[in-house]
Amino acid sequence: MYRKQVRRRRAVLAFLVISSFVLLTITYGQESGGLQRGVSTIFSPLQVGADRALKPARDLTGWFDKTFDARGENSRLKEELAETRELAVGAQAALQENEQLRKLLDLDRESAIAASDYEPVTGRVLARTPTVWHSAVTIDLGSGDGVHVDDPVMSGDGLVGRVASVQGGSSQVTLITDDASAISAKVLPSGVQGVIRPDLGDPEDLILDYIDATENIGVGQAVVTSGWSAQGLSSLFPPNLPVGEVTRASIVEQEASQQVRLRPYSDLANLDMVQVLTGGPER
Amino acid sequence: MIVTPRIFARLAAIVIVGVLLQLSFFSRVALFHTSPDVLPALVVSLGLLGGSMTGAVSGFSIGLLVDCLLVEALGATSLVLLSTGYLAGLFRERFEIHSALVPPLACMGLTLFAEIGHAAVQVMLGIDSQVSLLIVRDMLLKSVYAFFLGWPIYLAVRRVLRPALVEEPQARRRRSTALGT
Repeated sequence: MYRKQVRRRRAVLAFLVISSFVLLTITYGQESGGLQRGVSTIFSPLQVGADRALKPARDLTGWFDKTFDARGENSRLKEELAETRELAVGAQAALQENEQLRKLLDLDRESAIAASDYEPVTGRVLARTPTVWHSAVTIDLGSGDGVHVDDPVMSGDGLVGRVASVQGGSSQVTLITDDASAISAKVLPSGVQGVIRPDLGDPEDLILDYIDATENIGVGQAVVTSGWSAQGLSSLFPPNLPVGEVTRASIVEQEASQQVRLRPYSDLANLDMVQVLTGGPER
Repeated sequence: MIVTPRIFARLAAIVIVGVLLQLSFFSRVALFHTSPDVLPALVVSLGLLGGSMTGAVSGFSIGLLVDCLLVEALGATSLVLLSTGYLAGLFRERFEIHSALVPPLACMGLTLFAEIGHAAVQVMLGIDSQVSLLIVRDMLLKSVYAFFLGWPIYLAVRRVLRPALVEEPQARRRRSTALGT
């Protein structure tokens, strides 16, 4: 009797392990299947309810976390404010100059049109991945709101990520800190281009790769999406969406390139409201 | 644990409430820049109370539900959590839980195991990005949070599943003393 029980247990365990591997093999790297879409649709109202009910508790915990951080941040912000004041004066002049140059050279006309085609839709974050190996959130906007796969997602501060899958009333957004994320971007004002990759485990650090070692890049410079398009192919993101600012630039000697570190403008650890740029060009 | 249809419904409710709480609350709050992961602690509690099969099956179900809701590759979280639940159940079957510290310590140890398991599965599937050392801090902090959250989770799960649990030795002893047998 006991042996029979042990055999049955082992069989169940083996079945579960094999099922996990089979599911992993079938679904890894694939689009979302019917099962996932179905479950996600069924649970979407529950997630909306849970999100609303738990918001006060989340805010309270967030207040404690922010109070701890605020002490260290205060002195850093004072220094930044002084620097920003200086920069703001320069930026005004640069804006005027930029406008004149754009008119003169007719640069980025296509990109500007593409960017204006987007229609922002605001939504709320419902859920978030529990591990740092994947950075994704579920939002309460779906195909009914005009959201499509690969639509860019912004917060009030900057780029957040792109829509990875869409259901009727919800969507999954892959954040720019996810392993699967790669964004073509440029450093302002020089326009040097590179690819932004995440540094897994650190949501406040991104890496801008493939930058020539001879380019002069300084701390505090803004990084925006480059939004390239060539031979019928185009970037998933329109140009000039703010991504972050340079925190460090170090030269990789063996590769004759420099690795630029940036801090994203968006607070990706505490996302609450996001904006999906819908209605972009067909891909 | 005796699993009747009513207990099965309670187990399903625990799984759903646990997953919703994790995704809507715990994953979205951070203390010292790390969000707690209560799912391994929940699976450990179920394993400690119900045995290896309950632990493994509930771990598999929780993992599957998480992957479905987040539209991730199915099976990765299931594999990690079923191993976690099985180990917790195996511990309960081999050793007697005679100290109140055992559940939180088991939650802490097995949460670390689950985090390392997640890392192993990711390495197995291939990582394209650079990995920050902060990930180690994240794993350790998650285990520490599991220690503090493990005990209330264990008590809550035990309360919900009480009708199905085989009588605990201490309670049995207390009752026989009171009856004078």
